Amino acid sequence: MATDKVGLTGLTEAESEELHRNLVQGTQFFGMIAALAHLLAYIYTPWLG
Amino acid sequence: MVRLSRWVVDGWAELGTRFLPFADAATPDLPLSRLLRLSLFQVSCGMAMVLLMGTLNRVMIVEMHVPAALVAVMVSLPIVFAPLRAVIGFRSDAHQSALGWKRVPFIWRGSMVQFGGFAIMPFALLVLAGAGQSSHYPAWIGQFSAGLAFLLVGAGVHTVQTVGLALATDLVPQEGRPKVVGLMYVMLLAGMIISALLFGGLLADYSPGRLVQVIQAAAVVTLVLNVIAVWKQEARKPLQAHTATASDDPDFAEAWALFKSGPDALRRLLIVGLGTAAFTMEDVLLEPYGGEILHMSVGDTTLLTATLSAGGLFGFGLASHVLGRGFDPFRMAGLGAMVGVPAFAAVILAAPLAAPVWFGVGVLLIGFGGGLFSHGTLTATMQAAPARQVGLALGAWGAMQATAAGLAVAFGGIAKDVYGALTDATQGYIFVYCLELLLLVVTIGAMAPLAGWRRTHHPPILQDQPTRRMT
Repeated sequence: MATDKVGLTGLTEAESEELHRNLVQGTQFFGMIAALAHLLAYIYTPWLG
Repeated sequence: MVRLSRWVVDGWAELGTRFLPFADAATPDLPLSRLLRLSLFQVSCGMAMVLLMGTLNRVMIVEMHVPAALVAVMVSLPIVFAPLRAVIGFRSDAHQSALGWKRVPFIWRGSMVQFGGFAIMPFALLVLAGAGQSSHYPAWIGQFSAGLAFLLVGAGVHTVQTVGLALATDLVPQEGRPKVVGLMYVMLLAGMIISALLFGGLLADYSPGRLVQVIQAAAVVTLVLNVIAVWKQEARKPLQAHTATASDDPDFAEAWALFKSGPDALRRLLIVGLGTAAFTMEDVLLEPYGGEILHMSVGDTTLLTATLSAGGLFGFGLASHVLGRGFDPFRMAGLGAMVGVPAFAAVILAAPLAAPVWFGVGVLLIGFGGGLFSHGTLTATMQAAPARQVGLALGAWGAMQATAAGLAVAFGGIAKDVYGALTDATQGYIFVYCLELLLLVVTIGAMAPLAGWRRTHHPPILQDQPTRRMT
């Protein structure tokens, strides 16, 4: 594992990729949740109406 | 002089652990603070359960005027994910991670899903109730989004609890596990009691804004508690370069077949299901039984829940103490089932004798027996779990336990209504209690060959990890 250390964090490339994948997935999931929550909030009390 | 002060200091140290419940669950490798921190995930699970089953159940019917049948469907939706606990546990066993984590990614995702469910839940419920402007929109939007919110929270709870218990099993050596099980159960109960009181107080004067605040606060608390719980708990075990690939990795069917071939694995699962059903079927019937049949006051019936919890706490405490000394956990579960028999008999006899005291004693004993039973089966599951299949074993236990509990509560309510309508109200309750008695007897029967009532020696537990001595 010590062969391919990269960067200042001490994470290897595979490790950084996995971290990044989780970050992207989390952002996508939260984005969808936020969109749905806004849609429902709009249905409940429309703004700019 | 030095020796004297040494002795005094040791005395203080011992006093601390003696009077702090479950302090002796810690081992040198795993200090109590870390264990307590890990058990916070149970607090967040307990909170979610209370919010779904108790608080929102009531608020939706009483304050939001959602039809009771629709509420019942929504609240019971999370149970569809319960059988998937086995798959979740297996996936975490087999998880391939460059970071070297098996459990943390699942607890994180579970927390995220639970957070997401709570984030949309208040708006979904308001739309479901047709509040505000939402009555101009088709009804399915509210039904779909509320259903989605409940499913997300349910999936999150199932994932976090399954994988969290697997992580606890990974961290704690064999001898320490009974104490940890006790700690986990007590924290679950504590989370449920504290959040029930908090939610009750906060939602006492209901307004839509308050509902949004309370549920979204629960979302944030979930995420905060779960992150604190798993922070730096799991050691990173990076893959041996890229040698450990998918080839030697069994799929679920293979893993399940291997798990099933363990000593009496299926019989153990069946016992968990039967016993859990027996101990939970009366869950929603105790308070109305006290009020309707025994004419107890509202304050007295509320005390019943406290009595049940007190019995459970006592059961967990006793089980932790006794199992920590090497008592066979399955025999402990069997004793719990045996305590349940006179308990239900007392509850049944309370009606013809018109004696609420018998009812109270029965409820206390149900809590106690149920505590012994669930502690015993979970400890037995942890101890029998092969090191490579910890997640699957705990997932299977959780799947059985959660499914049986959910179905039993639903069935208990329906059976009481149907049979009560056919005869009279008292008979409806008695019918369910008798059914539970019968289930307990069947459970004890199924346990007899396992618990070794006549043998003094328990069959060797399948384990392939070295056990460390607890000092």
